Amino acid sequence: MDTELETWRREWQSETAVAPDLRRRVERQSRWLKIGIAADILVTVVIGGGVIALAAREPQAHTLLLAAATWTFIAAAWTFRLTITRGLWSPSATDTATFVNLSIGRCRAQLKATLFGAGLYVCELAFCLGWIYRYSAPRAPLGNWLFGSIFNCLVWVFSLAFFIFLAWYRRRKRAELAWLLSLRES
Amino acid sequence: MKSSTETDADLADVTLFAILDHATLEREFDRLLAANGPALARLAACYTNTPSDRDDLLQEIALAVWQALRSFRGECSPRTFLFRIAHNRAIAYLARDQARNPGRFPAAAVDEVHDSGPDPESGLAREQAAARLRSAIHRLPLVYRQVVMLALEDMGYAEIADVLGISESNVGARLTRARQLLRESLEKSK
Repeated sequence: MDTELETWRREWQSETAVAPDLRRRVERQSRWLKIGIAADILVTVVIGGGVIALAAREPQAHTLLLAAATWTFIAAAWTFRLTITRGLWSPSATDTATFVNLSIGRCRAQLKATLFGAGLYVCELAFCLGWIYRYSAPRAPLGNWLFGSIFNCLVWVFSLAFFIFLAWYRRRKRAELAWLLSLRES
Repeated sequence: MKSSTETDADLADVTLFAILDHATLEREFDRLLAANGPALARLAACYTNTPSDRDDLLQEIALAVWQALRSFRGECSPRTFLFRIAHNRAIAYLARDQARNPGRFPAAAVDEVHDSGPDPESGLAREQAAARLRSAIHRLPLVYRQVVMLALEDMGYAEIADVLGISESNVGARLTRARQLLRESLEKSK
Protein backbone atom coordinates (compact mmCIF):
# COMPACT_ATOMS: atom_id res chain seq x y z
CA MET A 1 0.00 0.00 0.00
CA ASP A 2 1.51 3.29 -1.10
CA THR A 3 0.27 5.51 1.73
CA GLU A 4 1.89 8.68 0.46
CA LEU A 5 0.19 8.40 -2.95
CA GLU A 6 -3.12 7.45 -1.32
CA THR A 7 -2.97 10.51 0.95
CA TRP A 8 -2.21 12.73 -2.02
CA ARG A 9 -5.07 11.15 -3.98
CA ARG A 10 -7.54 11.89 -1.20
CA GLU A 11 -6.32 15.47 -0.94
CA TRP A 12 -6.33 15.94 -4.71
CA GLN A 13 -9.80 14.50 -5.21
CA SER A 14 -11.26 16.52 -2.33
CA GLU A 15 -11.46 19.38 -4.83
CA THR A 16 -14.80 18.77 -6.50
CA ALA A 17 -15.52 22.05 -8.27
CA VAL A 18 -18.41 21.59 -10.66
CA ALA A 19 -17.75 22.37 -14.29
CA PRO A 20 -19.78 25.26 -15.71
CA ASP A 21 -22.68 24.63 -18.05
CA LEU A 22 -20.55 23.18 -20.81
CA ARG A 23 -23.30 21.66 -22.89
CA ARG A 24 -24.90 25.00 -23.83
CA ARG A 25 -21.52 26.57 -24.57
CA VAL A 26 -20.49 23.62 -26.72
CA GLU A 27 -23.70 23.85 -28.75
CA ARG A 28 -23.09 27.57 -29.33
CA GLN A 29 -19.47 27.04 -30.31
CA SER A 30 -20.36 24.13 -32.62
CA ARG A 31 -22.79 26.41 -34.42
CA TRP A 32 -20.07 29.02 -34.95
CA LEU A 33 -17.65 26.39 -36.27
CA LYS A 34 -20.25 25.23 -38.79
CA ILE A 35 -20.89 28.85 -39.82
CA GLY A 36 -17.13 29.32 -40.29
CA ILE A 37 -16.86 26.31 -42.60
CA ALA A 38 -20.01 27.36 -44.49
CA ALA A 39 -18.58 30.89 -44.90
CA ASP A 40 -15.47 29.52 -46.65
CA ILE A 41 -17.60 27.60 -49.10
CA LEU A 42 -20.03 30.50 -49.49
CA VAL A 43 -17.22 32.91 -50.44
CA THR A 44 -16.06 30.46 -53.12
CA VAL A 45 -19.60 29.99 -54.45
CA VAL A 46 -20.54 33.69 -54.40
CA ILE A 47 -17.31 35.06 -55.91
CA GLY A 48 -16.66 32.13 -58.25
CA GLY A 49 -20.33 31.90 -59.26
CA GLY A 50 -20.58 35.66 -59.65
CA VAL A 51 -17.75 35.92 -62.16
CA ILE A 52 -19.08 32.96 -64.13
CA ALA A 53 -22.53 34.54 -64.24
CA LEU A 54 -20.98 37.81 -65.40
CA ALA A 55 -18.97 36.04 -68.12
CA ALA A 56 -22.07 34.16 -69.26
CA ARG A 57 -24.16 37.34 -69.43
CA GLU A 58 -21.44 39.37 -71.19
CA PRO A 59 -19.11 36.92 -72.93
CA GLN A 60 -16.36 39.40 -73.77
CA ALA A 61 -12.59 39.20 -73.40
CA HIS A 62 -12.41 41.15 -70.15
CA THR A 63 -15.18 39.21 -68.35
CA LEU A 64 -13.74 35.89 -69.51
CA LEU A 65 -10.31 36.98 -68.31
CA LEU A 66 -11.78 37.95 -64.93
CA ALA A 67 -13.56 34.60 -64.59
CA ALA A 68 -10.46 32.62 -65.56
CA ALA A 69 -8.19 34.53 -63.19
CA THR A 70 -10.67 34.32 -60.30
CA TRP A 71 -11.02 30.56 -60.68
CA THR A 72 -7.24 30.20 -60.93
CA PHE A 73 -6.88 32.00 -57.60
CA ILE A 74 -9.68 29.95 -56.01
CA ALA A 75 -8.17 26.70 -57.28
CA ALA A 76 -4.71 27.71 -56.04
CA ALA A 77 -6.07 28.58 -52.59
CA TRP A 78 -8.05 25.34 -52.18
CA THR A 79 -5.25 23.17 -53.58
CA PHE A 80 -2.74 24.71 -51.20
CA ARG A 81 -5.13 24.38 -48.28
CA LEU A 82 -5.89 20.71 -48.95
CA THR A 83 -2.25 19.84 -49.67
CA ILE A 84 -0.84 21.50 -46.60
CA THR A 85 -3.38 20.06 -44.18
CA ARG A 86 -3.09 16.51 -45.50
CA GLY A 87 -2.42 14.14 -42.62
CA LEU A 88 -2.71 16.87 -40.01
CA TRP A 89 -6.37 16.53 -39.11
CA SER A 90 -6.58 13.26 -37.27
CA PRO A 91 -8.97 13.06 -34.30
CA SER A 92 -7.98 14.99 -31.20
CA ALA A 93 -8.25 11.81 -29.13
CA THR A 94 -4.79 10.55 -30.06
CA ASP A 95 -2.23 10.16 -27.30
CA THR A 96 -0.42 13.28 -26.14
CA ALA A 97 2.94 12.48 -27.77
CA THR A 98 1.24 12.04 -31.16
CA PHE A 99 -0.80 15.16 -30.60
CA VAL A 100 2.33 17.24 -29.91
CA ASN A 101 3.82 16.04 -33.21
CA LEU A 102 0.56 16.84 -34.99
CA SER A 103 0.50 20.29 -33.41
CA ILE A 104 4.06 20.92 -34.58
CA GLY A 105 3.03 19.91 -38.10
CA ARG A 106 -0.01 22.19 -37.94
CA CYS A 107 2.09 25.11 -36.73
CA ARG A 108 4.53 24.64 -39.59
CA ALA A 109 1.64 24.38 -42.05
CA GLN A 110 0.13 27.59 -40.71
CA LEU A 111 3.47 29.37 -41.06
CA LYS A 112 3.71 28.23 -44.68
CA ALA A 113 0.09 29.29 -45.20
CA THR A 114 0.87 32.85 -44.11
CA LEU A 115 3.60 33.10 -46.77
CA PHE A 116 1.33 31.58 -49.37
CA GLY A 117 -1.52 33.89 -48.31
CA ALA A 118 0.71 36.94 -48.61
CA GLY A 119 1.90 35.89 -52.08
CA LEU A 120 -1.62 35.08 -53.27
CA TYR A 121 -2.91 38.39 -51.94
CA VAL A 122 -0.23 40.33 -53.84
CA CYS A 123 -1.06 38.44 -57.05
CA GLU A 124 -4.81 39.01 -56.61
CA LEU A 125 -4.32 42.68 -55.80
CA ALA A 126 -2.05 43.20 -58.81
CA PHE A 127 -4.51 41.43 -61.09
CA CYS A 128 -7.60 43.24 -59.77
CA LEU A 129 -6.02 46.69 -59.88
CA GLY A 130 -4.56 45.97 -63.32
CA TRP A 131 -7.91 44.67 -64.58
CA ILE A 132 -9.89 47.64 -63.24
CA TYR A 133 -7.32 50.12 -64.59
CA ARG A 134 -7.15 48.43 -68.02
CA TYR A 135 -10.91 48.44 -68.52
CA SER A 136 -11.77 51.72 -66.82
CA ALA A 137 -12.64 54.74 -68.90
CA PRO A 138 -11.60 57.47 -69.07
CA ARG A 139 -8.15 56.27 -68.02
CA ALA A 140 -6.23 58.60 -65.68
CA PRO A 141 -2.41 58.48 -65.33
CA LEU A 142 -1.52 55.34 -63.36
CA GLY A 143 0.08 57.14 -60.41
CA ASN A 144 -2.90 59.43 -59.94
CA TRP A 145 -5.32 56.55 -60.32
CA LEU A 146 -3.55 54.30 -57.81
CA PHE A 147 -3.59 56.85 -55.00
CA GLY A 148 -6.18 59.35 -56.14
CA SER A 149 -9.48 57.69 -55.32
CA ILE A 150 -10.98 56.91 -51.95
CA PHE A 151 -11.60 53.33 -53.03
CA ASN A 152 -7.94 52.73 -53.89
CA CYS A 153 -6.78 54.43 -50.68
CA LEU A 154 -9.04 52.06 -48.73
CA VAL A 155 -7.48 49.14 -50.62
CA TRP A 156 -4.00 50.27 -49.54
CA VAL A 157 -5.08 50.74 -45.93
CA PHE A 158 -6.69 47.30 -45.91
CA SER A 159 -3.55 45.79 -47.48
CA LEU A 160 -1.35 47.38 -44.85
CA ALA A 161 -3.62 46.09 -42.06
CA PHE A 162 -3.61 42.62 -43.65
CA PHE A 163 0.20 42.46 -43.76
CA ILE A 164 0.51 43.73 -40.18
CA PHE A 165 -1.93 41.00 -39.12
CA LEU A 166 0.10 38.36 -41.00
CA ALA A 167 3.32 39.50 -39.33
CA TRP A 168 1.69 39.38 -35.89
CA TYR A 169 0.17 35.97 -36.62
CA ARG A 170 3.52 34.57 -37.80
CA ARG A 171 5.21 35.82 -34.66
CA ARG A 172 2.66 34.04 -32.50
CA LYS A 173 2.88 30.84 -34.50
CA ARG A 174 6.68 30.88 -34.28
CA ALA A 175 6.45 31.23 -30.48
CA GLU A 176 3.94 28.38 -30.36
CA LEU A 177 6.18 26.21 -32.52
CA ALA A 178 9.23 26.92 -30.36
CA TRP A 179 7.29 25.97 -27.23
CA LEU A 180 5.96 22.76 -28.77
CA LEU A 181 9.43 21.78 -29.97
CA SER A 182 10.85 22.34 -26.50
CA LEU A 183 8.00 20.24 -25.07
CA ARG A 184 8.81 17.43 -27.47
CA GLU A 185 12.48 17.66 -26.50
CA SER A 186 11.61 17.39 -22.82
CA MET B 1 -16.83 10.11 -5.45
CA LYS B 2 -16.91 7.29 -7.95
CA SER B 3 -13.88 5.12 -8.28
CA SER B 4 -12.35 4.63 -11.69
CA THR B 5 -13.72 1.10 -11.88
CA GLU B 6 -17.26 2.26 -11.18
CA THR B 7 -16.95 5.06 -13.70
CA ASP B 8 -15.71 2.70 -16.38
CA ALA B 9 -18.45 0.21 -15.58
CA ASP B 10 -21.05 2.95 -15.88
CA LEU B 11 -19.66 3.90 -19.22
CA ALA B 12 -18.95 0.43 -20.51
CA ASP B 13 -21.82 0.69 -22.95
CA VAL B 14 -20.56 4.02 -24.19
CA THR B 15 -18.72 2.62 -27.19
CA LEU B 16 -19.29 2.78 -30.90
CA PHE B 17 -20.78 6.25 -30.61
CA ALA B 18 -20.67 6.47 -34.37
CA ILE B 19 -23.83 4.44 -34.71
CA LEU B 20 -25.82 6.61 -32.31
CA ASP B 21 -28.30 9.24 -33.35
CA HIS B 22 -27.80 12.88 -32.37
CA ALA B 23 -30.04 12.81 -29.30
CA THR B 24 -28.40 9.68 -27.91
CA LEU B 25 -24.99 11.13 -28.64
CA GLU B 26 -25.94 14.22 -26.64
CA ARG B 27 -27.06 12.06 -23.71
CA GLU B 28 -23.81 10.10 -23.76
CA PHE B 29 -21.85 13.34 -23.96
CA ASP B 30 -23.68 14.64 -20.89
CA ARG B 31 -23.07 11.36 -19.08
CA LEU B 32 -19.35 11.41 -19.86
CA LEU B 33 -18.98 14.98 -18.64
CA ALA B 34 -21.09 14.41 -15.56
CA ALA B 35 -19.07 11.36 -14.58
CA ASN B 36 -15.75 13.10 -15.11
CA GLY B 37 -16.63 16.76 -14.56
CA PRO B 38 -14.75 17.26 -11.28
CA ALA B 39 -11.66 15.46 -12.65
CA LEU B 40 -11.70 17.64 -15.78
CA ALA B 41 -12.11 20.77 -13.65
CA ARG B 42 -9.10 19.75 -11.51
CA LEU B 43 -7.08 19.08 -14.65
CA ALA B 44 -8.03 22.42 -16.21
CA ALA B 45 -7.24 24.30 -12.99
CA CYS B 46 -3.81 22.69 -12.94
CA TYR B 47 -3.03 23.98 -16.44
CA THR B 48 -4.30 27.52 -15.93
CA ASN B 49 -3.86 30.43 -13.56
CA THR B 50 -7.29 31.98 -13.18
CA PRO B 51 -10.88 30.74 -12.87
CA SER B 52 -11.87 32.32 -16.19
CA ASP B 53 -8.92 30.65 -17.95
CA ARG B 54 -9.93 27.37 -16.34
CA ASP B 55 -13.48 27.74 -17.65
CA ASP B 56 -12.19 28.63 -21.13
CA LEU B 57 -10.03 25.54 -21.18
CA LEU B 58 -12.88 23.38 -19.92
CA GLN B 59 -15.03 24.69 -22.72
CA GLU B 60 -12.35 23.88 -25.29
CA ILE B 61 -12.05 20.39 -23.87
CA ALA B 62 -15.81 19.86 -23.95
CA LEU B 63 -16.00 21.04 -27.55
CA ALA B 64 -13.15 18.74 -28.59
CA VAL B 65 -14.83 15.82 -26.82
CA TRP B 66 -18.10 16.55 -28.61
CA GLN B 67 -16.34 16.69 -31.98
CA ALA B 68 -14.37 13.49 -31.38
CA LEU B 69 -17.21 11.53 -29.80
CA ARG B 70 -18.75 10.42 -33.06
CA SER B 71 -15.48 8.87 -34.20
CA PHE B 72 -14.89 7.02 -30.94
CA ARG B 73 -14.73 3.31 -31.71
CA GLY B 74 -13.97 1.98 -28.26
CA GLU B 75 -10.25 1.41 -28.91
CA CYS B 76 -9.63 2.55 -25.33
CA SER B 77 -11.79 3.15 -22.27
CA PRO B 78 -14.04 6.23 -22.36
CA ARG B 79 -12.00 7.69 -19.51
CA THR B 80 -8.72 7.29 -21.43
CA PHE B 81 -10.42 8.83 -24.47
CA LEU B 82 -11.60 11.77 -22.38
CA PHE B 83 -8.27 12.37 -20.67
CA ARG B 84 -6.36 12.18 -23.94
CA ILE B 85 -8.52 14.92 -25.36
CA ALA B 86 -8.31 16.95 -22.16
CA HIS B 87 -4.50 16.82 -22.02
CA ASN B 88 -4.21 17.53 -25.74
CA ARG B 89 -6.46 20.56 -25.53
CA ALA B 90 -4.53 21.73 -22.47
CA ILE B 91 -1.26 21.51 -24.40
CA ALA B 92 -2.74 23.46 -27.31
CA TYR B 93 -3.98 26.00 -24.78
CA LEU B 94 -0.54 26.33 -23.17
CA ALA B 95 1.13 26.70 -26.58
CA ARG B 96 -1.20 29.61 -27.38
CA ASP B 97 -0.66 31.08 -23.93
CA GLN B 98 3.10 30.92 -24.47
CA ALA B 99 2.68 32.72 -27.80
CA ARG B 100 0.64 35.46 -26.10
CA ASN B 101 3.13 35.83 -23.25
CA PRO B 102 6.55 34.91 -24.64
CA GLY B 103 9.21 34.21 -22.05
CA ARG B 104 6.75 33.19 -19.35
CA PHE B 105 6.64 29.49 -18.79
CA PRO B 106 2.94 28.84 -18.93
CA ALA B 107 0.95 28.07 -15.85
CA ALA B 108 4.03 28.07 -13.68
CA ALA B 109 3.48 31.23 -11.70
CA VAL B 110 2.38 29.72 -8.44
CA ASP B 111 1.69 33.08 -6.84
CA GLU B 112 -1.20 33.56 -9.22
CA VAL B 113 -2.65 30.13 -8.65
CA HIS B 114 -6.36 30.16 -8.11
CA ASP B 115 -7.67 27.75 -5.57
CA SER B 116 -11.35 27.31 -6.10
CA GLY B 117 -11.21 24.85 -3.24
CA PRO B 118 -10.77 25.50 0.44
CA ASP B 119 -9.25 28.64 1.86
CA PRO B 120 -5.85 27.79 3.40
CA GLU B 121 -6.69 30.09 6.30
CA SER B 122 -9.84 28.20 7.16
CA GLY B 123 -7.97 26.51 9.96
CA LEU B 124 -8.60 22.99 8.80
CA ALA B 125 -5.32 21.18 8.38
CA ARG B 126 -6.71 18.80 5.79
CA GLU B 127 -7.91 21.60 3.57
CA GLN B 128 -4.61 23.41 3.95
CA ALA B 129 -2.75 20.28 2.96
CA ALA B 130 -4.96 19.85 -0.13
CA ALA B 131 -4.38 23.46 -1.17
CA ARG B 132 -0.62 23.07 -0.66
CA LEU B 133 -0.65 19.91 -2.75
CA ARG B 134 -2.48 21.60 -5.64
CA SER B 135 -0.06 24.52 -5.55
CA ALA B 136 2.92 22.17 -5.52
CA ILE B 137 1.55 20.18 -8.48
CA HIS B 138 0.89 23.41 -10.34
CA ARG B 139 4.56 24.33 -9.90
CA LEU B 140 5.88 21.07 -11.37
CA PRO B 141 7.39 21.03 -14.87
CA LEU B 142 4.74 20.02 -17.42
CA VAL B 143 5.96 16.48 -18.12
CA TYR B 144 5.86 15.62 -14.41
CA ARG B 145 2.65 17.51 -13.77
CA GLN B 146 0.83 15.42 -16.40
CA VAL B 147 1.95 12.11 -14.93
CA VAL B 148 1.13 13.12 -11.36
CA MET B 149 -2.32 14.45 -12.25
CA LEU B 150 -3.23 11.21 -13.98
CA ALA B 151 -1.84 9.08 -11.16
CA LEU B 152 -3.89 11.07 -8.65
CA GLU B 153 -7.00 10.41 -10.74
CA ASP B 154 -6.56 6.69 -9.93
CA MET B 155 -4.95 5.76 -13.23
CA GLY B 156 -2.47 2.91 -13.44
CA TYR B 157 0.81 2.98 -15.37
CA ALA B 158 -0.71 1.32 -18.44
CA GLU B 159 -3.56 3.82 -18.66
CA ILE B 160 -1.25 6.81 -18.12
CA ALA B 161 1.05 5.47 -20.83
CA ASP B 162 -1.98 5.13 -23.11
CA VAL B 163 -3.05 8.72 -22.50
CA LEU B 164 0.38 10.28 -22.91
CA GLY B 165 1.80 8.02 -25.60
CA ILE B 166 4.91 7.03 -23.63
CA SER B 167 6.11 3.67 -22.36
CA GLU B 168 5.10 2.32 -18.95
CA SER B 169 8.71 2.36 -17.80
CA ASN B 170 8.87 6.02 -18.78
CA VAL B 171 5.71 6.64 -16.76
CA GLY B 172 7.38 4.98 -13.77
CA ALA B 173 10.54 7.04 -14.14
CA ARG B 174 8.62 10.30 -14.52
CA LEU B 175 6.34 9.51 -11.60
CA THR B 176 9.27 8.71 -9.32
CA ARG B 177 10.95 12.00 -10.21
CA ALA B 178 7.66 13.90 -9.95
CA ARG B 179 6.98 12.52 -6.49
CA GLN B 180 10.47 13.47 -5.38
CA LEU B 181 9.96 17.04 -6.63
CA LEU B 182 6.53 17.15 -5.05
CA ARG B 183 7.89 15.99 -1.67
CA GLU B 184 10.60 18.66 -1.76
CA SER B 185 8.10 21.33 -2.74
CA LEU B 186 5.68 20.32 0.02
CA GLU B 187 8.50 20.30 2.58
CA LYS B 188 9.47 23.84 1.61
CA SER B 189 5.90 25.11 1.80
CA LYS B 190 5.31 23.77 5.31
